[in-house]
Amino acid sequence: MTDVSASTTAEIAREYRAERARRAKRAAVLKHIFLALTSLIMIYPLIWMLAASLKPDTQIFGDIGLWPGTFEWQNYAQGWNALPVSFTTFFWNSTVVTVLSVVGNVISCSFAAYAFARLEFSGKTIWFALMMMTLMIPYHVVLIPQYILFMNLGWVDTYLPLIVPKFLAGDAFFIFLMIQFFRQLPRELDEAAMIDGCSPFKIYWAIIMPLSLPAMATAAIFSFIWTWEDFLGPLVYLNDQADYTVPLALRSFISSDGVSQYGPMFAMSILSILPILLFFIVFQRLIIRGIAMSGLK
Amino acid sequence: MLKFLRRNFAGYAFLSPWLVGFFLLAIGPILASLYLSFTKYNVVRPPQWIGLEHYFYMFEFDDRFKKALQVTFTFVVISVPLKLIFALGVAMALDKGIRAIGWYRALFYLPSILGGSIAVAILWRQLFNYEGVVNSVLSLIGIQGPYWLADPDYALWTLIVLAVWQFGSPMLIFLAGLRAIPQDLYEAAEIDAAGPVKKFFAITVPLLAPVIFFNLVLQMIEAFKSFSGAFIISGGSGAPLDSLLFFTVYLYNEAFSFLRMGYASALAWVLLLIIALFTIVAFWTSKYWVHYENERG
Amino acid sequence: MASVTLSEVRKAYSGFAVIHGIDLEVQSGEFLVLVGPSGCGKSTLLRMIAGLEEITDGTISIADRIVNDLPASQRNLSMVFQSYALYPHMSVRKNLAFGLSNLRMPKDEIQRRVADAARILQIEELLERKPRQLSGGQKQRVAIGRAIVREPQLFLFDEPLSNLDAELRVQMRVELAGLYNRLGTTMIYVTHDQTEAMTMATRIAVLNKGNLEQIGTPYELYNAPKNLFVASFIGSPKMNLLSGKATGNKIELPGFGALAFVGAAGEMTVGVRPEHLSIGEPDGRRAEGTVTLVEYLGSEVFIYVALIDGQTLLAQAPGNASYKRGDKVHLSFRGADAHFFDSKGLRIEAPR
Repeated sequence: MTDVSASTTAEIAREYRAERARRAKRAAVLKHIFLALTSLIMIYPLIWMLAASLKPDTQIFGDIGLWPGTFEWQNYAQGWNALPVSFTTFFWNSTVVTVLSVVGNVISCSFAAYAFARLEFSGKTIWFALMMMTLMIPYHVVLIPQYILFMNLGWVDTYLPLIVPKFLAGDAFFIFLMIQFFRQLPRELDEAAMIDGCSPFKIYWAIIMPLSLPAMATAAIFSFIWTWEDFLGPLVYLNDQADYTVPLALRSFISSDGVSQYGPMFAMSILSILPILLFFIVFQRLIIRGIAMSGLK
Repeated sequence: MLKFLRRNFAGYAFLSPWLVGFFLLAIGPILASLYLSFTKYNVVRPPQWIGLEHYFYMFEFDDRFKKALQVTFTFVVISVPLKLIFALGVAMALDKGIRAIGWYRALFYLPSILGGSIAVAILWRQLFNYEGVVNSVLSLIGIQGPYWLADPDYALWTLIVLAVWQFGSPMLIFLAGLRAIPQDLYEAAEIDAAGPVKKFFAITVPLLAPVIFFNLVLQMIEAFKSFSGAFIISGGSGAPLDSLLFFTVYLYNEAFSFLRMGYASALAWVLLLIIALFTIVAFWTSKYWVHYENERG
Repeated sequence: MASVTLSEVRKAYSGFAVIHGIDLEVQSGEFLVLVGPSGCGKSTLLRMIAGLEEITDGTISIADRIVNDLPASQRNLSMVFQSYALYPHMSVRKNLAFGLSNLRMPKDEIQRRVADAARILQIEELLERKPRQLSGGQKQRVAIGRAIVREPQLFLFDEPLSNLDAELRVQMRVELAGLYNRLGTTMIYVTHDQTEAMTMATRIAVLNKGNLEQIGTPYELYNAPKNLFVASFIGSPKMNLLSGKATGNKIELPGFGALAFVGAAGEMTVGVRPEHLSIGEPDGRRAEGTVTLVEYLGSEVFIYVALIDGQTLLAQAPGNASYKRGDKVHLSFRGADAHFFDSKGLRIEAPR
């Protein structure tokens, strides 16, 4: 008797478990369908742009298809030379500005972050609060006085207004990100280094920096992406087309009334975001961790 | 004195780039901008003191100013909540160890990283063209789409869609926040026979409140600051009929198209005050609805 | 080798005092252990000697040189940290050599010293590894190695054994004592573990709430504790403390009756170490009680006895003693083995 009832309980339990597993599986499938559809919608415009860059002009508008009937590779060649100045120059300009900005940001922001996270000095709390406040200040508010300042220095139509501020730790976001990272490193390391005869600079250089490579890389990547995409700065400071960065050059496609050049325009658009895409693919992990780290904690 | 110097030397040495930047490029310009806002200044002739006249004019007579405020507020009020709802929804679908989460996460984040670029703004202009892809898709389901970019009633929606499309970074922050919620709370709720809706409102929302709050403040500031999308899509002017006249676009044109630097500075200060006000209000009200984990009851 | 002198050393964090004026003389070549419960300020004191923490008031001198304003690197000392603080991105060899290369020492000299230290500590085969590839005990050795390569005049240890498991801790204790005998350098060692202090120290300084309670050899501290705090902190298991009342020429102890004692009046505390409480000799002063717990340790037995007034005393008996829960026993002690403390907790010498 007891034997029988025991086996039925076990059966019911098994049944119940199986039912639960089935339901969980169904939920997972539904979730995947939802996520896959959403991500398709999300990504569709970008793929469409890629396709459009290879379509003949007449096929672009209203064509929701993602497969160009004929591949118009010369869109790229045409686009490259569509403006009076070739895109070789624009890419070179962008590269110069971006590389110098990244270097400046990483050095100057890590300096400030090291001071805030590791050194003792009077007034530290006040400076820290002020630094956090600058996170909120919109660029538009400081834009005009900065413009007047750089104009008086004779820096308009040069890259200096775009690069020099990066060496002055202008982006509090990076300082904040690095402070968060530095604080995770045990303080006893600094102290051991102090006893080992390190100056504060040596501690920064030989201990903190080598141990913070992920944070430095994250800051460098974001700095790269934002500088590469930056539009307002170049728009205000660069007037000569030969000095344009890639985003400014792209804008010339719309304003120069070369209305019929949609294919070449998209070709150059694709090329302009290519470096960012590559960075994103390679450093995806660091980027995503960087967002989560600076956002929380 | 010597001791004081030695104790503070290293800290201020490391902080010095930031300090220079802070005074020259942040606080200095903010104060200069306040001064300029009380003057007439066109770069060519020296500033001319006119007191509060700009502010009077702005609030009494300047209809474009009011239009710009209205456009910007509408944009913020609609796009930020939509973006956050989207971000939270997708983050919740991604939470709890779904397969291929890395892929989804990357795909959902991609638009955020490209969204600020001119390439995407250009793409958007084409997608929402009357003969563009969006209307083609709508016609598939029998809807005749409007003249998105030419109709003042619809133009702003193109930018709202563009903003919502970039829900990636709040999503990542939500995801990190969801991970931090202890799983046993949900299990306890399940034992207490709470359904999914109940669990969402009784556990997820209150425990995620600090993260929601953080995202809200951050995204609001971002939305007030947004510029390049509106600038490119409206052709630089805020057209059609000023329906894309974002505050930042208006400010830029006053300053750099019409060289009314004094008036533009006054606009900049209004923007600064609005953002500060929103931030303060958000912080101030947060104590009524944000529950921090380490708070003692 | 160097002596260390602290005079009137104070430390306050934004007005809140944590070290209240400590005078301490560490002789050259001494192994001094700073011991005390957590939060007593012993680590702060050590860090002030090291130069990692500024002193609020007073002077510290090392080898008769005042070092108050000298940075840590110029005090010619080494320190072993509780977490070892090995540089994670450097190999063991680099960890050992890092401090020396900062002194701009010639390469072959660095190599010689690293090799020597590695041989002494038997970590020669670990030299190319990174710290994360080492076990706890190996990390500990490397940390000590990093301290000895500099051949300093003073070694500082901040609870270096507290992250090790019990067995390894005993082993490292022996090795550290061996290292001390070999080098003969002055050492200051911080721990909260009184066994560590007793076994390794030439002298022990007991700290409590930022005050120096007593300093002396392990023997002095054990046999003549200056006050109740030291009496109960030093020795494991703890000293039994009985409260009594002194009236002229005797002390009234509940349970034990009167105890002859001249020269004190008022509330008193009488302390008796467990090994001095004997069981079962029904003569003289004795108290009756019931065995509540027996802890068998092999070589000895700890017996918890509840007296009639509810007070529980701990007595130590040889390993072959057979008592069990519920036994009625008599406890007694010799007056000469007892420690006497007045109402302020200060030691009173018994008149002989």
